[in-house]
Amino acid sequence: MRKVLSIILLVTLVLSLAACGTTTTTTAAPAATTAAAAETTAAPAETPAVEKIVLANNKVEIDEQLKAFAAEYSKTAGVTVEIATTGGGADYGGNLKAQLQSGNMPDIFVIEGPAGYDDWKDIIADLGDQPWAADTDYAYSVDGKTIGFPVAIEGYGMAYNKALLDKAGIDPKTLTNFNAYKAAFEKLDGMKADLGIDAVVSMAASTATGMTWVTGLHNFNIYLTAGLPYGDTTVIDKLLAGEVDEARLTQYAEYVNMLFQYADKEVLLNGNYDAQAQAFAAGKTVFLHQGNWVDPTLKTLEADFEMAYAPHAPFVEDTDGVLAAPPSWYVVNGDSAGAEEAKKFLNAIATTEAGHSYMVEAAGMIPAFKSVKLTPAVPLSKSIMEWASAGKTYSWQQYKMPSGFGMDTLGPIYEQLASGAVDTAGFVELIKGEVATVPDLLG
Amino acid sequence: MNNQGMKQNNRLVNALFLAPSLTAFILVVIIPFFMGLYFSLTDWNGAIQDKINFVGLKNFSVIFSDVKFHYSFLVTTVYTAANVIVINLVALTLAMMVTSNIKFRNFYRSGFFTPNLIGGIVLGYVWQFIFVNAIPGFAESMGIESLTSSLLGKGSTALAAIVIVGSWQYAGYIMMIYVAAIQNVPVSLLEAAQIDGANFLQRTRAILVPLVAPAFTVSTFLTLVNSFKQFDVNVSLTNGGPSGQFAGKVVKATEFLALNIYNTAFTRNRMAEGQAKAVVFFLVLVIVSLIQVYFNKKKEVEM
Repeated sequence: MRKVLSIILLVTLVLSLAACGTTTTTTAAPAATTAAAAETTAAPAETPAVEKIVLANNKVEIDEQLKAFAAEYSKTAGVTVEIATTGGGADYGGNLKAQLQSGNMPDIFVIEGPAGYDDWKDIIADLGDQPWAADTDYAYSVDGKTIGFPVAIEGYGMAYNKALLDKAGIDPKTLTNFNAYKAAFEKLDGMKADLGIDAVVSMAASTATGMTWVTGLHNFNIYLTAGLPYGDTTVIDKLLAGEVDEARLTQYAEYVNMLFQYADKEVLLNGNYDAQAQAFAAGKTVFLHQGNWVDPTLKTLEADFEMAYAPHAPFVEDTDGVLAAPPSWYVVNGDSAGAEEAKKFLNAIATTEAGHSYMVEAAGMIPAFKSVKLTPAVPLSKSIMEWASAGKTYSWQQYKMPSGFGMDTLGPIYEQLASGAVDTAGFVELIKGEVATVPDLLG
Repeated sequence: MNNQGMKQNNRLVNALFLAPSLTAFILVVIIPFFMGLYFSLTDWNGAIQDKINFVGLKNFSVIFSDVKFHYSFLVTTVYTAANVIVINLVALTLAMMVTSNIKFRNFYRSGFFTPNLIGGIVLGYVWQFIFVNAIPGFAESMGIESLTSSLLGKGSTALAAIVIVGSWQYAGYIMMIYVAAIQNVPVSLLEAAQIDGANFLQRTRAILVPLVAPAFTVSTFLTLVNSFKQFDVNVSLTNGGPSGQFAGKVVKATEFLALNIYNTAFTRNRMAEGQAKAVVFFLVLVIVSLIQVYFNKKKEVEM
């Protein structure tokens, strides 16, 4: 008995040691990278000053392609470019702050607008003298200083499956106002069996799967800019002062409600990004509420039907355009010893053929540089590019909201509407209540 | 060597043995704790800032009027209560099972302990798949209507889901504490009671439970503190979702305190406010733990 007991205790001890072992290794890993980073920053300024620079990427969709380009670049540049990706609902900004605290700040990182700029303005390097700066209209500039390298132009609207719309006899060009959408949704909903679809719209609003960026940021931006001249800030300025445009918000709420009503309920309430894309790619829905960044995912899912964008049209009046802008900019950490190498890498993306090919052909992005002659081969990006070159775009103002306000505060309200816990009137009241707190948040 | 010198020598050895862990403890717990106290009284934003201003108790007045924080407190309390009860019941049952005369009991012992070796984040994602895909898929093919929608879709069931995963992860560990305690109970006592005609329930109630009471103290303390601090499973399983309503505001139905603090600090970028919440969190945790240990200690029986 005693022997058995001692063996058991020994096993327990070993098991708990093993448990400790795992935790130590997991915590040891970042420590190791910190040490490596410390080494690189501590290295004396020889040529090249550093052996490795780190780009903190926030777009999971282009992770592979960017890594491939970086690996190719590293071969000839004499410096290793490491791509560290966080995204897809993970907390990029939080990560950056943690990295700063651990002395592991990347050489190139991403800002998404004024909030990011304010957080990091003290270390962001001036890129005005870079060759690519004159080649774009979309660089991030503050007080005449160019600091941000536009990663791409992105846009979103209602992506539609052309084959299914044709079958239902609906012309996507007519989808420019609330009533047109309403009629189309009703018609498609009535033809579910004929079309072989589960629902009309594929959209996700779940807080649990982190999809509140689709609702609280992108969908909410429809309220902020749809139908307004490009770059118009009336609605966002009002929001920042704690007020809403009640008539506009009410109409918008009806539109959101309609999208939810015709959405696949399982995807809407429990789905993640993949589930949302899958439903559309498999031809189980006619519309997809996602931007052109979904192209590579759809390609992987072998969605080979013809698709393009129709506008988001929440109002009785026509809104004939998609919501497009450079959503993020690469900025260079001026405090880093690798700053010069970082600038060279960005330049390689914007000015070399390999860089152009990476942006357009590999990653399927819409380049923000005029000298790029390639056009995206993937359908949704192509569609955004067509809308953009026709001048039919509405801007992105959602990133002017306080940090986390869209995803963390507004997002759950959308989920309440999606689950039927509130009606549109309740939805409007809840949004109003939260918007009223914005001046305090900014104060 | 005289007695005096021996004592001093012992003291030095003790200090030397303590030094490494004490240094680590001071560096990663004590110093950050006081830094945190200081930051909770400032307008610190976590990023690069020209000057950190002292703002007194402003952060505390903000968080005490924050409905979402109140809700997090409430839901964390509910979760902790449920989790402490479930984990201890399950662990005690398992412990009694693996100390009884069943076959393969050593195999069970390691089996029940294994989930504890898997990190909470991994567990959360695995169980998210089980709740969102596996169970509804299975229910659909079997025609069980009540299980076809995900447990994570509703606030109350999502909370239950976290309790299930939390217990699954932690019950095996607590079981080990009970196993050790049960094996310390002299067999003679139990046998004597058996000869006197006491049945299983009577033996458990009158002999086992009082003698295992020190293990109850340790186990409730561990589960209480661990449940209250629940973070990793919370993040990966529900991320605080789904949404719910509380006092006229939309809240995240399963956003526990630790996650609320994290979101305040890192998602909403309100570092000092998050720090103030963490201070309150710490105080509550200390008070609750002290009360719990005090009352449980009273019930223990010394042999």
